[in-house]
Amino acid sequence: MIMLDVKNLNKKFPHFQLSDVSFQLPQGYIMGFIGLNGAGKTTTIKSILNLITVDSGEISIMGKNMNEHEVELKQVVGYAFGNVDFYTRSKIKTLTKVFKTFYDNWNDEAYRHYIQKFKLIEDKKIAELSTGMKVKYSLALALSHGAKLLILDEPTSGLDPAARDDLLDVFRELVQDGEISILFSTHITSDLEKCADYITYIHEGHLINSAEKEEFVDKYRLINGKVEDLEPIKDRMISYKVTSFGFTGLILAENFTPSPAFKSAIPNLEEIMIYYSKKEAAHV
Amino acid sequence: MYNLLLKEVRLGVNPFFFVLPLITGALMLVPGWLYFIVPLYFCMITIPNIFGGYKSQNDLMFTSMLPVNKKNVVQAKVLLIVLLEVLHVVTAMIYGKISLSLYPHLHYIFFKPTPGFWGLTLVMLALFNLFFISMYFKTAYKYGAATLVASTVAVLFAVEAEWLGIQNQFVSDLFKGSGSTDGLTHYSILFTGVLIFAAFTFIAYRIAYQRFKKVEV
Repeated sequence: MIMLDVKNLNKKFPHFQLSDVSFQLPQGYIMGFIGLNGAGKTTTIKSILNLITVDSGEISIMGKNMNEHEVELKQVVGYAFGNVDFYTRSKIKTLTKVFKTFYDNWNDEAYRHYIQKFKLIEDKKIAELSTGMKVKYSLALALSHGAKLLILDEPTSGLDPAARDDLLDVFRELVQDGEISILFSTHITSDLEKCADYITYIHEGHLINSAEKEEFVDKYRLINGKVEDLEPIKDRMISYKVTSFGFTGLILAENFTPSPAFKSAIPNLEEIMIYYSKKEAAHV
Repeated sequence: MYNLLLKEVRLGVNPFFFVLPLITGALMLVPGWLYFIVPLYFCMITIPNIFGGYKSQNDLMFTSMLPVNKKNVVQAKVLLIVLLEVLHVVTAMIYGKISLSLYPHLHYIFFKPTPGFWGLTLVMLALFNLFFISMYFKTAYKYGAATLVASTVAVLFAVEAEWLGIQNQFVSDLFKGSGSTDGLTHYSILFTGVLIFAAFTFIAYRIAYQRFKKVEV
């Protein structure tokens, strides 16, 4: 089943535009939603949650249109925003007491389980929690109301490597039984190398690609060569940089014909992002 | 809707603002004071503090993520304002009664706390609601301009009313002189005040909801 279906999303702001963004997240998988700062990740997430009105396009969760079934669908959507805090002066137990009244399928037993599992102390105020603990608290809330789709906006930003790794393990564990799906936006691509099944890459409000992770990177080649061999290939490359040792550039695999003049390799997500941002800079 | 109201009470409003009416209401015991100021404390202290809290705690984002519709979000906030206003007015009325019995022969320059005066107070709060609620929900987080405009309108109403009470013999008699014991007239004014308060608040809610539908978080 398709858990989240985003179709032809368009939204125009005075200085930014989200253009024709479409992707699908199947049930039971983690999708990494990547892009540089300001690429439109949060705008897309806000559109999914109906926090902003899109100019055109359609969002469906579990096959139901978000616009028509917003209240019902929000019962099965959990969220964690890495950079936004709510009611930080309230204690965990106070916030939970209020939060649970909004959900039909709230499960106190599940809540106790996750509070213990994540080592959360209910008497602590939200402001006293570390960034990682705040994300875990959001997850505990989401999982206790039976969320099937978790939307996490930059949940690992600002975390130390150990806390990040810990959180990624939690994400992997959550999708294991195939019921829960996670859309996980980040610009820290190494997190996704570890845990994502699908990658959706957005750049300057445009969708570059959305595919299964291996398929996603396999679409590109990172090539090295001597500067004198650059000329015949440079127009086909997404972007490149020249150093005293030669050039390195990113090219779509379909535009690349292997030749002894070039060394090629499959790039990682970070390299793809970097070369796409260079393409933009070259056009400025 | 009940859970949203509960959310406002448990998370959004510091308990101090439920106690404040007891403190500001006690100012009714100052003999012959300008009693319109008492409910104005609600407009100038309670409102900006509560709505400033909403802004700093990202209430708009928090509420928008919950499985609730926008209509109920507006209703809960309007109901909270009305609840606190009623608390302020009723407490001040009780103190007003005590004040009247403490100083039975006082010569009033400003309005005497009669039932009619409370009717005028409700009209003042009705004007405050009309401006504050409708302006606030344009963004659902900017409360400064809305508080300023709504409070100014409320103050202007109070100044006008007091001015009329000093300048006009009929109004002066009705609120401070022999007419101040005319129960039928005074309760009619109070009843009219209640109706105006309800009508203006309802209109404010309708405008606020239409505006809030277009708010982007």
